[in-house]
Amino acid sequence: MIVGAMLFGLGVVGFLTRRNLIIMFLCTEVMFQGVLVNFVAMGQRWGNLQGQAFGLFVLVIAAVEAGLGLAIVVMLYRRRGTLDAEHWRTMRG
Amino acid sequence: MQDWLVYLAYFVAAIGSTAVYAALPREGAAPRKSFMIPMLGLAIGGVVVLLNKFAGPAAQSWYSIILVVLALGGAVRVVTHPKPVYSALYFVMVVLSTAALMVVCGAEFLGAALVIVYAGAILVTYVFVIMLAQQSHRGPEAQVAATSDFDRHAREPFAAVAAGFVLVATVAGVIVGQGSTPSTPMPNSPDGNTMEIGRVLLTDFAVSVELAGVLLMVAMIGAIALARRRFPKHEEGPAYQPGEIGRHVKPF
Repeated sequence: MIVGAMLFGLGVVGFLTRRNLIIMFLCTEVMFQGVLVNFVAMGQRWGNLQGQAFGLFVLVIAAVEAGLGLAIVVMLYRRRGTLDAEHWRTMRG
Repeated sequence: MQDWLVYLAYFVAAIGSTAVYAALPREGAAPRKSFMIPMLGLAIGGVVVLLNKFAGPAAQSWYSIILVVLALGGAVRVVTHPKPVYSALYFVMVVLSTAALMVVCGAEFLGAALVIVYAGAILVTYVFVIMLAQQSHRGPEAQVAATSDFDRHAREPFAAVAAGFVLVATVAGVIVGQGSTPSTPMPNSPDGNTMEIGRVLLTDFAVSVELAGVLLMVAMIGAIALARRRFPKHEEGPAYQPGEIGRHVKPF
């Protein structure tokens, strides 16, 4: 569980720091890894299989997120020709 | 009740966050490796000590310690590597080591699914998009494009590392502070892990499985719709009218 927390924290740090859109998505995947490790560890600790079943659903969500997120990234890249998140500052309210 | 373990967790989180702060790419000189590597080693060693004091027997074997070190080191490199392709490859390392960690923990099916779905499908998609996005910078400035400006400078590194430190410290403190209650043993069925998961999925979570399938299909449709909407307008090169292909433009 500690490992899961550490992975999640690293993912958060990466998401906040990196400016490349693709790497930001990779960092969300690192966060998913942390959550998965936590699910498995907790399921093992309480001795049932629901942790692992939920881990499978996390996998599904990760696949969905990767597909949609990368589609959005490709669309944004075609519009501006860069992957820099700072270029989208104008979307600020 | 285990105060010193909680403080040890805080301490490990603090050391790890300073190491990550030192390792993040920034303006100016190369990352300070002489400072960063011992700090990282100290942090990961602290994690190992915590695991030894706290976790169950599955987490104390040598395999899982090696895997934990691999996963955390790989994750640090994913976050800090300036080149996206390398960062994706380090993410493969993270995925493989977490999958092996799950196999060690007794979740064989989830480990296999992790390797197939993450290291197979998702990573291929990532590498594909990275290649697609960097291909247009081809030319003399290829080296510059490989580590372009926004890849080399981190954004607000201190605030982000501080936020990560607070998060990790609180979560790890809570996890450690509640003490290590002896884990109830997994009911050991003769059918094995995969069959048990299948039984749970199709009895207790049957509706959720169907919902997940629907969600995947909706996401697929959405991804296709998103990716092709802007395509004809912004494509470089001669734009062909729809009926033109086959008349004077060869299709192949």
